[in-house]
Amino acid sequence: MSNVYLDHAATTPLREDVLAAMEPYLSATFGNPSSSHRWGQAAAAALEDARARLATAIGASPSEVRFVRGGTESDNLALIGGVRAMAKTNPPRTPIVLVSAIEHSAVLEPAEWLHKRAEAEMRVIPVAIDGTLDLLSVSMDLAARPFLASVMWANNETGLLLPIDHVVSWAKELGGIVHTDASQAVGKVRIDVAESGVDLLTATGHKLGGPRGCGVLYVQAGVEVEPLIFGGGQERSLRPGTEDVAGAVGLAEAIHLAVADLAVAGARMAAVRDRLQARLVAQIPGLRVNCADGQLAPHVLSLGIPEVIDGAAFLMALDLEGVAASGGSACHSGAMAGSHVIAALYGTDDPLATVRLSVCRGTTEADVDRGAEVVTAVWHRLRSNA
Amino acid sequence: MSRVLVAMSGGVDSSVAAAILVDEGHEVIGVTMKTFCYSDIPTHGKTCCGLDGIMDAKRVASSLGIAHYVFDVEEDFTRDVIDDFVSEYARGRTPNPCVRCNSNTKFRDLLARGKALGCDRIATGHYVRIAHTAGETSLLRGLDDAKDQSYFLWGLPPEILPRLLFPVGDLTKAEVREQARTLELATAEKPESQEICFVPTGDYRDLLRKRLGPVHPALEPGQIVRSDGTVMGQHRGFAGFTVGQRRGLGGGFPEPMFVLAVRPETREVVVGTREELFGASVAVRELNWLTAAPSPGDEVTVQLRYRAPTVTATVVDVGDDLKLALSAAQPAITPGQSAVVFDGLRVLGGGRIA
Repeated sequence: MSNVYLDHAATTPLREDVLAAMEPYLSATFGNPSSSHRWGQAAAAALEDARARLATAIGASPSEVRFVRGGTESDNLALIGGVRAMAKTNPPRTPIVLVSAIEHSAVLEPAEWLHKRAEAEMRVIPVAIDGTLDLLSVSMDLAARPFLASVMWANNETGLLLPIDHVVSWAKELGGIVHTDASQAVGKVRIDVAESGVDLLTATGHKLGGPRGCGVLYVQAGVEVEPLIFGGGQERSLRPGTEDVAGAVGLAEAIHLAVADLAVAGARMAAVRDRLQARLVAQIPGLRVNCADGQLAPHVLSLGIPEVIDGAAFLMALDLEGVAASGGSACHSGAMAGSHVIAALYGTDDPLATVRLSVCRGTTEADVDRGAEVVTAVWHRLRSNA
Repeated sequence: MSRVLVAMSGGVDSSVAAAILVDEGHEVIGVTMKTFCYSDIPTHGKTCCGLDGIMDAKRVASSLGIAHYVFDVEEDFTRDVIDDFVSEYARGRTPNPCVRCNSNTKFRDLLARGKALGCDRIATGHYVRIAHTAGETSLLRGLDDAKDQSYFLWGLPPEILPRLLFPVGDLTKAEVREQARTLELATAEKPESQEICFVPTGDYRDLLRKRLGPVHPALEPGQIVRSDGTVMGQHRGFAGFTVGQRRGLGGGFPEPMFVLAVRPETREVVVGTREELFGASVAVRELNWLTAAPSPGDEVTVQLRYRAPTVTATVVDVGDDLKLALSAAQPAITPGQSAVVFDGLRVLGGGRIA
């Protein structure tokens, strides 16, 4: 039987048209964009074209787009750099960093680190399973202190969309700034940074056919962020180091292409995702679709599977049958720890095993039918084992 | 051929074990156990089972064309192995954490996960052998006497023996290395792991301090005494001593002194001469038998330390505990260490020295 990759929220293969766009900058047009000669000029032009293309795709000005080395770096820069810039302009008070309970660890860990070092006070915003944020519980004396709220646009483990517009209006009223990790949202749902009013936005390309290792931090004009590394003036001194021109071109191209056909592709992804969901719901009694009452990104299906004690073994069994899925987010050692996202949404004693299936633009009905068949078969086997 | 789950520590032995099974035509699935949190215990590549071990196992699995997964057993391992390790030292005893892991954690988890993954057999890279004779399955010492690891496996539940495979048990270490080189496995030249996986520095006292807290009787100063009560000096915590140890007692003795016993109730470390270190009987508890238990009067052999030679012994009494009379007095019979009982090459069972 054929293998089916249903883990596109982890990463996706490079699109051929994106690879084609990158190729000149991996070989012939190799110059350093900072060089004054024509080799450098050609590279700089490509980099700025990419910046403009990416800016247009997300509704930003080119000068607001900073290329960085991936989504995690972008998140770290936004939180640590954003908080440090605030501390600089407001010396007497320690800034507050607010994060939703279901943020990616690339946001949670820098926030915890800032808290531990007393550079900021960390507060966690509770999230309900429909995406409602309990902002009231964390609002105490916010108006009197500088603060940065980081709330993701779409959650990576469940696809749950969080109410960014609501966060922005709340934060603006109290005088804070807003960062959003949109790594799972760009190219999946409509995003216009200017319209949204967010101050900082993180995006990456490898969730939609772009290369890994490059990302972007949108910094709204007038918002200050302190750099974390030093050694050159690139990216307006926010991210020094010789630019990855090919990566920037690929990232911009991937986001541009995804945004261009979003209306059609979004509906398509939602349709195959819904088909997968319907099949599994029909075949596995007691199956829970996580965050089903919320607004969801079109590519993620997060399941709470009943009668399975060992969720990690469930995923291994799926892999052995040729279906790629994940439990939550991917961990470096490959071990599968319990998900902090599911714990935050459903409690730490949630009896269901979490399985995330995620599709892409190219996922077919046959793919998800095969996926549903394997998940059901493995469930029957492991359930009887339990 | 069957589907086999092979535990790959990232060392050369389990790498070759996996390669042999692949060569024999089994459908092989590699797994590595994640036993503790890597940011809690910094590792330096000197032990198996660390993060480097996981990455090495992944490379070997990939070169063999087999699947590889990581089993997170951190919670069970901490409870059954690390906590036991710490509390044994706190009671003045010297634990065998690898025995605890094999008896309580590793094989239990391999079996449970193996079942979920449709594996009917479990394999590891231990230097032991399995023999099937007339309805009975036995665990035998490895062919390479210098590498034999049967000492660590007496605690297995006997009913699982028929499902175990030990592909390197018939080989010498040199042959295993040779096979690894021939197959160009990434781990072919990897040095032996000598240390306990969760004590990569070799100094377990740091771990004890961390887990027992700064103030604990086992880490408080106490007296070094002779058997007759003569005070010989001071020590800085009895948890730093094991029977037979010479180091850390201070100098100035007329003849070499060895630790004879640790008395947690008075925090005394008892020392004496080499002659005083010998004992001719041993009491063993927390028994596990892989075969029928021996009877009083039976002659067996017993191994009292890893890599120690076996010694002939007579069963004096057997029940909840085992009492053995040794044919020749042995040095440093250490409470907490395993006593493993053999009939020739066959492991009968074992327990912890009382």
